[in-house]
Amino acid sequence: MFEIGTDEAGHVRISGRLDAAKAPRAQTFLDRQDGPCVINLGGLEYISSAGLGVLLRTHKRLMANGEGIRLVGVGPHLRDIFSYSGFDRLFDIETAADG
Amino acid sequence: MKASFPRRFSALTDIVTMTEAFFAGEGLDASLRPATDLCLEELFVNMVTYNTETKEPITIELQRHGQGIRAALTDRDVDRFDPRKVAPVDVELPLEQREPGGLGLYLVFKVADAVHYEYRERTSRITFTIEGKHD
Repeated sequence: MFEIGTDEAGHVRISGRLDAAKAPRAQTFLDRQDGPCVINLGGLEYISSAGLGVLLRTHKRLMANGEGIRLVGVGPHLRDIFSYSGFDRLFDIETAADG
Repeated sequence: MKASFPRRFSALTDIVTMTEAFFAGEGLDASLRPATDLCLEELFVNMVTYNTETKEPITIELQRHGQGIRAALTDRDVDRFDPRKVAPVDVELPLEQREPGGLGLYLVFKVADAVHYEYRERTSRITFTIEGKHD
């Protein structure tokens, strides 16, 4: 299962499994985002390097205009992956425990 | 448990289904699933992406390893590609120097406890182990 959309607060919400099969759909959606972008990952169970590539590509594009992505609701598995990949130094990340 | 999968990313759904069934059948700790899924996906995707001269399906075998799991991916009629010899990604680079790609194998070596590679008669076999918490 994979879902991506915009919630009532205007935040992007990604849930399910973001793998290599789903990454193109996520990239197409995020390519339409402009300005500062908050992505709620509270429902994201799993991410692979393909999903990380989608986030990095989008973050770099938005950062070119001084904006970028803020990731919220990041759970333990994702937190580990972000740490291993160095994304915790590239993104503004708010973990699920941080509320 | 053993099964073969076509060389396309959409097969990842069936690989996850297989892994889920294996974990349930063996009563393995579910906290090992993300690392297992990650290694299986990254290695499978790497084979599909770079071993483009073959049409052979990729075989995945899952075995219990104490409280953990050992998995093997076999790819036939391919050139040698030892993932242990790939230069590691520099994850310390600043954003402007980071590019998408290259993280897959790096993450495999971060989350797996062991990775082995064999190449014989144009067949690559990559085995990884995820140890259980009590091993």
